[in-house]
Amino acid sequence: MAKVLNNKIVNDLKKIFSEELEKKVKLLLFKVDDESVCEYCNLTRDLLEELKEVDERVELEVYDFNTDKDVVEKYGIERVPAIVILDEDGKDYGVRFYGIPSGHEFSTLIDDIVTFSKGPVPSLSAETIEQLKKIDQKVKIQVFVTPTCPYCPRAVLTAHHFALVNENIVGEMIEANEFMDLSMKFGVSAVPHIVVNEEHSFVGALPEANYLNEVLKALK
Amino acid sequence: MVFFDLEPKSTGPSKTEYDVIIVGAGPAGLGAAIYSGRAGLSTLVIEKNIEGGQILLTDVMENYPGYGLINSNELAQRFKEHADMFGTEFDYGEVVKVELAGEQKLVYLDNGKAYKSKVIIIATGASPRRLGVPGEDRFISKGVSYCAVCDGAFFTNKNVAVVGGGDSAVDEALYLSRIAAKVTIIHRRDKLRAVKSLQEKAFNNPKIDFIWDTIVKEIKGTDKVESLILQNLKTGEIKELPFDGVFIFIGLNPNSGIFKDIVDVDENGFIKTNEDMETNVDGIFAAGDVRVKSVRQVITAVADGAIAATIAARKYFE
Repeated sequence: MAKVLNNKIVNDLKKIFSEELEKKVKLLLFKVDDESVCEYCNLTRDLLEELKEVDERVELEVYDFNTDKDVVEKYGIERVPAIVILDEDGKDYGVRFYGIPSGHEFSTLIDDIVTFSKGPVPSLSAETIEQLKKIDQKVKIQVFVTPTCPYCPRAVLTAHHFALVNENIVGEMIEANEFMDLSMKFGVSAVPHIVVNEEHSFVGALPEANYLNEVLKALK
Repeated sequence: MVFFDLEPKSTGPSKTEYDVIIVGAGPAGLGAAIYSGRAGLSTLVIEKNIEGGQILLTDVMENYPGYGLINSNELAQRFKEHADMFGTEFDYGEVVKVELAGEQKLVYLDNGKAYKSKVIIIATGASPRRLGVPGEDRFISKGVSYCAVCDGAFFTNKNVAVVGGGDSAVDEALYLSRIAAKVTIIHRRDKLRAVKSLQEKAFNNPKIDFIWDTIVKEIKGTDKVESLILQNLKTGEIKELPFDGVFIFIGLNPNSGIFKDIVDVDENGFIKTNEDMETNVDGIFAAGDVRVKSVRQVITAVADGAIAATIAARKYFE
């Protein structure tokens, strides 16, 4: 099996994980084996296997989207490849990746792993946290990205940190190229393109307060 | 095609007060960080996205000395690692407010954090300028784009227009020509402003066509971009041509919004500095694309940063 990550990245990761990781972090991968159905499922599995090898605090469980129906249902997985990040105790905060976290989004995955290992504690202002805590209905924030988009990681991380605050909120990275049907459905042709509860959308990596306002618009 | 770019957000800042705070981790900010760190100043760089700034909007750099051709992500990462070498600290977030308090400057981030420093180097760069024509706002992410590396993939085998005639426009047209079926450069003059080597590549590219002396009057469509209304500036003729998408690269707007009330800017919002990168406010410098200057390149941004940090070290910390 060819290595997915080059030596420099593996060495950099070793350093980051040894300095930053505290508690264990659990990654759940949902996949299918058939590459004609899911082009990047096996590559995503290889990637996560290599991450697991870097530091023993990164744990991995792999599930089959077709046969592990109860787990798929439990986490509400809609398509593959999908990654769910859980804290040490197996708690789900609604942080999701749909599609391979490659390109700049690889850094997003690493940032999330570090965040989960340290708590997870959301890196948000007190005002934002207060407003997010008040949300008493389900919110799904879908952040459409491409791996080459330098503005996208910030938009994904904001959604993920929002999700950490309130269990009603799910924050999803969606690799737009892999899920072209979904991109077409929401008319995505510039990223980051954020869709809230499948009805309200906005474009761009907005500052935290503006991002929050856009999310709240979908709830009114 | 699958690649993995690790731009780790290093351990958070160790303190809340620094000698120098640099806003923006593009070439100017990282250039300043190298010089500031090397001068022994405690240095914090605040970045809202990821290190590299506009370097990351192109896939390959061919005019940064010492590398020949280098992948843009790699160059950005090397800049970051070079700044790390001299002890630069980083934090991530968008600066939303700056206050002056005597010799101290207070910097507030969108995530609620705040920092103090004696010197601020503004290296926030610039963003693509909008055309300002009907349809442009309405069709953002419905065919209108300002970032070819971000959005090119949505136009695979499609017919796209690129508006502009400078380096960025031609560079992005060349990038798009590898993805799209056809690329048409629409330029308001009768020749390109881009450097000769880019021009030659574009002229020799069978997928790239040109429409000269022409401006876009309107972007039209129902749910997404379907056509452009074009006007020839020499003949006055107006015509409508079908396109699936339009990429706009007509120049830059400075990312100077939050600083405009503090430092002097020109009529377009670019920050005015002297040749030592000093603004009119004591202890506040500007470097790179955000300031008034005539050549905006990676190498000139890095140089601005080096000058700003060197002068800051001499003037405020000796």
